[in-house]
Amino acid sequence: MFSHLLSSLSDGLVLGFVYGLAAMGLSLIWGVMAVINLAHGPVIALGMFTTYLLFYQAGLNPYLAIVVVAALGLLFGLVMYGAAVHRVIDAPHLSSLLSTFAVNMIIIGIGTAVFTTSPRNIDFAIGTLNLGPITIPLTRLVAALGAVLMTVFLYSFLYLTRPGKAIRAVANNREAAELMGIPSSAILALSFGLGTMLAATAGAFISTFFPFTILSGFPYELKSFVICVLGGLGHPLGALVGGLILGGLEGLVPIFMPVSWVPVVEFSLFVLVLLVRPTGLFGAK
Amino acid sequence: MAFLEIRDLTSGYGEVQILWGVTLSLEKGKLTTLVGSNGVGKTTLLRTVMGLLRPWQGSVSFAGRDITRLAPHARAKLGLVLVPEGRQLFTDMTVYENLEMGAFTHRARASMKENLDKVFTMFPRLAERRQQLAGSLSGGEQQMLAVARGLMAQPEILLIDELSLGLSPILALSLFESLGTLKEEGLTMLLVEQNVAMALAVSDYAYVLAEGRVHLEGPARELLRNGKIRRTYLGI
Repeated sequence: MFSHLLSSLSDGLVLGFVYGLAAMGLSLIWGVMAVINLAHGPVIALGMFTTYLLFYQAGLNPYLAIVVVAALGLLFGLVMYGAAVHRVIDAPHLSSLLSTFAVNMIIIGIGTAVFTTSPRNIDFAIGTLNLGPITIPLTRLVAALGAVLMTVFLYSFLYLTRPGKAIRAVANNREAAELMGIPSSAILALSFGLGTMLAATAGAFISTFFPFTILSGFPYELKSFVICVLGGLGHPLGALVGGLILGGLEGLVPIFMPVSWVPVVEFSLFVLVLLVRPTGLFGAK
Repeated sequence: MAFLEIRDLTSGYGEVQILWGVTLSLEKGKLTTLVGSNGVGKTTLLRTVMGLLRPWQGSVSFAGRDITRLAPHARAKLGLVLVPEGRQLFTDMTVYENLEMGAFTHRARASMKENLDKVFTMFPRLAERRQQLAGSLSGGEQQMLAVARGLMAQPEILLIDELSLGLSPILALSLFESLGTLKEEGLTMLLVEQNVAMALAVSDYAYVLAEGRVHLEGPARELLRNGKIRRTYLGI
């Protein structure tokens, strides 16, 4: 029993890092511009398919492909910001919800037409790690490590570089940032691009160990909402911790009840946190 | 020719017109004060000059160039810098980062080191608290930081909205002394200030704003000396 618990928990925690990475993108975008990106899931799926295409069409190693996916994810976010978000940035929240939802439908529509909805998978393995009762495929371990690296990258960017500090300034007080000569629209576009980059990268990592369709991003989008509420929207590091909590739950819950209860537990937690501590477990205000 | 030229400016919020054709100009190297009671449109004027509000009519030109349609950050790039009412600091960032953001533009970055020395000499308190979050500073320190951040932007023209609001008289006095120093260095400034007597005492020229229009203008000293003006417009 104990060894079963340990292996299930470690499985969940390792996945939790990747959930955290996906949620970080959502959290960053919300934190900077108060937009909920409803195309978050499809962007994750695009990350999966881009890795798939690079692997099978260009023969690229998936880990090299992830670098390309990150760059394309950033680019996609910049374009999406310009096309669908900027014009509604000062409008009431409903407008940005609708416009990002429209992007969501466009991606899913085109994706379904091109790729159908039959599952794909990337035939790629690099062995497993065995520690007593724990067996972890190395692809998942690399993904967890990648998530940590991306978090370090994001924080270094936000706290040590000039454009990163400008993102924090715009998030903090957009008008004052403009007054200091910071082109806030460009900075918002950059933040949005970083958010979609994180989402696409998470998708790329997931595609190395799970099969997927164009709709596969959706469960991760839902998890991202739960994680963001747990960690406090707008706190990227909270997202990583929230991801670990959710991953841990997913490891533990199936031991005590049927797997189908996992989402019930997750969303009960979601409601509970909203009721008791709506700023999230780590939210300051 | 005037350094900053505001001609026939009208603007407001939504349907409500606040400015009814303001014409005003700043001479290079001079300290100009804008006086008027609450709600006559002083802050609205500064926000329109910075481009935070779209003017309905009229024009703003800076050093001979029409900037009426420019975005606020583009105006800041040219050297038109506002220290906004209510400070508007980056409260979640440190004192040092606030100053760094002040020096965001290309022009300002080039002289960031000297400007940093300058503001730390002017406000030693900020140097002591450089790693503290701006939101945790006292009101007076926040006002110092707001002015310092504006100076970091290497302004050609510094607009200051309510320098002394909510500050102790001693602190207000020391901030006014800092303005004197800046004036000697040749900085062009437009000051909006509720402490009219103090503002006029350090200013070269003054405008009295009433009901969204310039009602009166003249050398600051003359305004201060004229008993009728003092009673009617200045309340002192």
